[in-house]
Amino acid sequence: MFRIVNATGGYGKTVIIRDVSIAVDKAEIVALLGRNGVGKSTLMRFAMALIPALSGHVEIDGRNAPEAPAKRAKAGVGYVPQGRYVFPRMTVTENIGVAAETNGHSGRLAVETALREFPMLRPKADDLAGGLSGGQQQVLALARALATKPKILLLDEPTEGVQPSIIDEMAGILKRINRERGVAILVAEQDLDFCLSIATRAYVMEKGSVQLETDRESLRTDKKLQQQLLGV
Amino acid sequence: MELDYLATVLLSSLSSASILLIATIGLAVVFGLMGVINLAHGEFLMIGAYAALTATQYGIPFVIAIPIAIAVTMTIGAVVEVLIIRRLYGRLFDTMLATWGLSIAFYQLAVLIFGTVTPGIGMPQFNLRIGNYSLAGYPLLMIAVAAVATVFVYVLMTRTVYGMKARAAIQMPEMARAIGIESARVNTLTFAIGCGLAGFAGAVLLPIVPATPSMGFAFVIKAFLTVVVAGPVTLTGSALTAVGLGGGASVTASFLTSVAGDAFFFLITAFLLWLYPLGITAKWRTKM
Repeated sequence: MFRIVNATGGYGKTVIIRDVSIAVDKAEIVALLGRNGVGKSTLMRFAMALIPALSGHVEIDGRNAPEAPAKRAKAGVGYVPQGRYVFPRMTVTENIGVAAETNGHSGRLAVETALREFPMLRPKADDLAGGLSGGQQQVLALARALATKPKILLLDEPTEGVQPSIIDEMAGILKRINRERGVAILVAEQDLDFCLSIATRAYVMEKGSVQLETDRESLRTDKKLQQQLLGV
Repeated sequence: MELDYLATVLLSSLSSASILLIATIGLAVVFGLMGVINLAHGEFLMIGAYAALTATQYGIPFVIAIPIAIAVTMTIGAVVEVLIIRRLYGRLFDTMLATWGLSIAFYQLAVLIFGTVTPGIGMPQFNLRIGNYSLAGYPLLMIAVAAVATVFVYVLMTRTVYGMKARAAIQMPEMARAIGIESARVNTLTFAIGCGLAGFAGAVLLPIVPATPSMGFAFVIKAFLTVVVAGPVTLTGSALTAVGLGGGASVTASFLTSVAGDAFFFLITAFLLWLYPLGITAKWRTKM
């Protein structure tokens, strides 16, 4: 359903990812594992067209995805960047509403849905997003991406700097969204437990390329692999 | 001192404050919201004034000349954004240098095309009598114009989908693109709206402030100070600051001299910035 094909890219002349290919099936949750600096975020940015492709391309439903990020978002790619990047001087409601309206959905309905799905945002609905805690911002960034009604959700280190109770809640929400709406998810993570709890398949990256494709069971049992690749 | 004199002073001071606010609103959008220090902002005001003046000279009624001035300045604003400003977002000093050059170019163009002296268009004649005093009606009308313009921009920026997109696109252009907003196009429109508001100010104030090539300069300093004192909640802050500073200066000027009025303006500005280095609204938790 969603494919990154032979992605090569980076910043300026510095190539960070080389010839990376990844596929996510419809309604599948796939993890992208690897230590800091192996190119996970760069691959996510490549997938969202936020960095120019030196070569390679992205396919959605067998068709080439549009080259501009705004058009790619409208084609069904939802993106939650590392570091959240909520719109700080807009309210929680507006952060969600603008994402929905931009994609031709009702902002009011999207906000209602989001507040039902993420009750922790409810008391903050009219607060500026910049004043929320890290975990709340992460949940808001997720709610904002979901308001665009994506076919595939790209999550870049969603657990970074988030307290454990919220991480558990987030895992539950992601599984439910995946089950109920059939949204495919590609999640870049260093938190192995989080990935094992939601993903069925994983790619392991090292030095800018995919080193290994594996499933949940072998990842769970292969301690040596865990040690070697993630240092856990 | 009689009551009618006091009422006259208060009304005319409120009208001066409103004139300052009208000249400032465009800057509240361009500098306050977008963070662009557009040193050519006063020249957009001047272009609006000349556009309205030229239109009336062709026999077009003044009320229709105003939207023409808005259209002209919005168009020029959009071109300036695409050619210059969009390359310089987040580069404060480069933007200042580029727009300063632009203001010199616009000023010289106006001198070449219109000369340095131009006829006014004469104030629409209606007066308001308070006791023994008579006030010209048109400057008083500016109080209503300022209120309507402020409410218009507030509603546009906070209650419409465009307004949300505009704020998202300028706060985080890349993230805005990643949720489907065409940030570049939205930013062009926002900058054009700011310039259009300057053009509106030049046109609507034309009966009070005649069009001259250097007219922008007179407004832009006080307008910039107003927006800087206002701080991050740009629109509400600017309205408050314009009424407080502009009105206060005008009251001072009526009782003392116009020099004292200006001294009041700049002293209070300095004092407020000393108290609130990030603007009076720095701690407000509201959006516009």
